[in-house]
Amino acid sequence: MQKKLYSIRNSIEENPQTKTIIRITSILAVIIIGILLVIVGINTYTWNEFVVRASKSLVDGLALSMLLFLMVSGFFLIFGLCGVINFAHGAFFMLGGFMGYTIYIATEALFLDIGLFGTNYFLLSIVCFIVAALGAAGVLAVIGGGIEFFTIRRLYGNVIAQILLTVGFMYIITQVAEIIWGSSVISYFITPNSQIEYFFISGVLDFGGALKFELYRIFLIFLGLGVAALMFIAFRKTRIGLLIQAGIEDSEMVEALGTDIKKLLTIVFMLGAGLAGLSGAVLVPWIGANTGHGLTYLIYAFVIVVVGGAHYGRFEGTFFGALIVGLSMQFTAYFIPAFEGIIVFIIMVLILILKPGGLTGT
Amino acid sequence: MKHLLEIENAHVYIGSFHILQGISLVVPKGEVTLLLGRNGAGKTTTMKSILGIYPPREGRIIFNEEDISNLSTHEIVGRGIGYVPDTRRIFGTLTVEQNLIVSRRKNGLKGEIQDRLDFIFDLFPDMKRFYKQKAKALSGGQQQMLAVARALMNDNDLLLIDEPTEGLSPLLGKNLIEALDKLTEIATILLVEQNFRTVSKLGDNYYIFDNGKIVHEGNDMGKLVADKDLVARYLGVSI
Repeated sequence: MQKKLYSIRNSIEENPQTKTIIRITSILAVIIIGILLVIVGINTYTWNEFVVRASKSLVDGLALSMLLFLMVSGFFLIFGLCGVINFAHGAFFMLGGFMGYTIYIATEALFLDIGLFGTNYFLLSIVCFIVAALGAAGVLAVIGGGIEFFTIRRLYGNVIAQILLTVGFMYIITQVAEIIWGSSVISYFITPNSQIEYFFISGVLDFGGALKFELYRIFLIFLGLGVAALMFIAFRKTRIGLLIQAGIEDSEMVEALGTDIKKLLTIVFMLGAGLAGLSGAVLVPWIGANTGHGLTYLIYAFVIVVVGGAHYGRFEGTFFGALIVGLSMQFTAYFIPAFEGIIVFIIMVLILILKPGGLTGT
Repeated sequence: MKHLLEIENAHVYIGSFHILQGISLVVPKGEVTLLLGRNGAGKTTTMKSILGIYPPREGRIIFNEEDISNLSTHEIVGRGIGYVPDTRRIFGTLTVEQNLIVSRRKNGLKGEIQDRLDFIFDLFPDMKRFYKQKAKALSGGQQQMLAVARALMNDNDLLLIDEPTEGLSPLLGKNLIEALDKLTEIATILLVEQNFRTVSKLGDNYYIFDNGKIVHEGNDMGKLVADKDLVARYLGVSI
């Protein structure tokens, strides 16, 4: 039996035509499954209801994907250049949420106090939000850089020690967050004085009919795209971006050409942790700041890397992986809520079986 | 004569293996010094210990009258050493241009970079053609040119060049050696080469390695080529 299977597999691998046929069939299969799901969806809800749910899932899914992409690109950079699987990355993201919240509340109180924006609460909340996002990114960059400089730097090449260390930091950061904020979950909505609802809740983009989208989610999509574009340009056009790329390929050679690789590793750790902090901070109005996020989002990061094929060193893999995870989570949230928590793992299992290298891998 | 680089009784270990067992050599300024010997004799390790990748546990390495044995790699290189590794180790995902940019130790002025590029294009006119291409798409010979060009992006007094003709066709190898010959006008060169005949015209001095020790040294390449016994014993060529 096994022999037979092997011979079938071999003949498939040797024949490029069968490969193309398989590829076309799998694309067709995905399309057909998609069409079937749409039909079932329309059948279950009315056409109008379906359009509303689908469009909301699309917007929310894209928004979540972009932010997951930012977080995971930090995870990927740290792994790519430093060779460290950073188990504390989810905790960085989680802490970014708490930091973003705290900085927002503080900046808002300050601006209200000095009356900087008068009664233009809409502008006020946007400015405070951006300050909070940048502030959280900065704080996390310093924390991440500090952890690299004082601990991980001594353990390069020792994978087991790195894993233990970063797992340890995950628990420490989580516990410290609970001690500082006194609660495992906080959200803007339990803060009565906050003006944030002017922007995040009342702010709506109305396309007529039932097509209303929260401004904040649209903002997230563009924020994610903007930061991704900035990173893309920085990696191609700046010397330090090129050095990071070169270092991912061969860090010893980068040093042999005269670059202080240790400094570069710290910078990348700061960048990676900063990206986690940024995405955590801008997602708080949506998902709240929750000490449980440390583990949850770490696992999402792994899933995204595996689904996208980024573990084969393809940076674009993180983008596609994040898109799939974000969109599938939101579509199931609107259509089959019971599956929201597990859909990404179902997809991961399917991809691991059918295409172990992930979407962009071999 | 003033020496640019001196190695004094260096003992180098990789893990628990005692690879270089007390080697001493000098690289005189403005000359080409060859490190010869079979595979695994310790030539590449010598280069890597100069670079601080495998620093000596005992002994000293002196560059420009300064002890560099305890410095880290980027500090050593920063004192004016260019490195062309044996397997080229170009950055495949970057273009040729980007490979050269990351090889600069400082940002520098546009004009200064242009001067260097002009020099490199003069040496390897072909490079202009594939300047914007991804390095992994280049042929072996083109990658080797790039590997040499990287070492020329800075003001280097010493070039460490490891097996430059490895894997190249005889014609390409010859062209490359001619290009290296031109470099001797601007820099001192320490060259590792297994195929010593291809570089015999280039070398001023030579050291022969065997089992982590220097077994023979001299400065008359003609005499070495003629010494069939020595060649057969240490350089793996039986005639």
